Amino acid sequence: MDFVPGGELSRRIREGDVSAESELIRQFEPGLRVLLRRRTGGDYGLLQDLVQETLLVVIQRLRGSGIDDPQKLAAFAAQTARNLAIASLRKAERQRTDVDSEATERNADPAQDVEGVAADLEAALAVRALLRELPQPRDRLMLKRFYLDDHDKEIICQEMDLTEAAFNQALSRARRRFRQILEERGFAKRDLLSLGL
Amino acid sequence: MNQELIEQYVAGSLSEAESQAFEEYCLANPEFARQVEYEQRLRAGIIHVARGSTAEFVRSNHPMRWNMAAAAGVVLALISIFYIWNRLPTHRPPVMAAVTTEDQRNGAEMRLALVRGSDTAPNLQSGIVRVEIVGLFDAGFHYSVALDRLEKNKKVDTVATLYSQHPTSPTTLEVVIDSDQLRPGAYSLRVRKQASDEESLDFGFVK
Repeated sequence: MDFVPGGELSRRIREGDVSAESELIRQFEPGLRVLLRRRTGGDYGLLQDLVQETLLVVIQRLRGSGIDDPQKLAAFAAQTARNLAIASLRKAERQRTDVDSEATERNADPAQDVEGVAADLEAALAVRALLRELPQPRDRLMLKRFYLDDHDKEIICQEMDLTEAAFNQALSRARRRFRQILEERGFAKRDLLSLGL
Repeated sequence: MNQELIEQYVAGSLSEAESQAFEEYCLANPEFARQVEYEQRLRAGIIHVARGSTAEFVRSNHPMRWNMAAAAGVVLALISIFYIWNRLPTHRPPVMAAVTTEDQRNGAEMRLALVRGSDTAPNLQSGIVRVEIVGLFDAGFHYSVALDRLEKNKKVDTVATLYSQHPTSPTTLEVVIDSDQLRPGAYSLRVRKQASDEESLDFGFVK
């Protein structure tokens, strides 16, 4: 997709151009997902809500009073998303404080945990498929040490007797395949829950 | 921006100022952002898989077992499709369809939107009802809309699915539902952007 400068998008949205709003959504949505995924602790429902809320706030602002420096539209959208994430976190903290902790323990339901982490299931399924496909047990161990144990590349290479080039190549192959698996499957969250994963 | 920076951001090892600059770069560069998101999801997926046990990371390969399981799965799927196909009603109007007539457009309507923290679900009245789904839609894409019945035991039964639906505006997607064909209960409309890896949005209502 061609990059449309913030100034031009701002002007067109101000003038009521609906296609400019679509362009803004297309352009900013992936970046907002990155930013908010980091701040929503794997809660996919909250992530989607906040992405939509941010886009609505930005569009409404551009339709109305506009922003001080239209060239910095991306920075404005990013800061809006951060503010909404902080507000949502504070609200959740307040709700947690208000809850009767004994009652919560009495009603503990393991199924609710599954719902709570539902956002990760699609990625988890792709990771399982990836692990099954990786030809070398060494590659699986390498992924574990890099992503799960957070070991430095250098240490992993030393201990597994790998050159850095071989390590990067194997990691890049795994990433490519992970992306392919997700694109091929395109599973919805509910499909995965019905599989009982 | 390079892969190493993506790894550092996803691992949380950039400073606050560096992270903010990185995020703004992502907003201005959607394709780069997608690359970052895959890295975030790979890490999240690995953490999820390892939550129970890390055995999958150290096991040896058993290709034959997987091939046999896949073959059994295909046979089971074919039998299921044959069974369902033979029981499909042939002359019944669809439970859910695209909005095509002025009567549908001017008739009964129900509005669905995602409202965070809301405990109540809208009520679907009887007859043919135009359902207006409010959200952010991309006019350049097709959307699929699945009508799910939510059973008490948390099972989900998909009643009907429409593919290739176009939003009527960047914030609206419309379908019509023949309410009289639905049993009383809880339902959900699952809206998904086709040809994308985005997850679906669920809009609940009751009949």
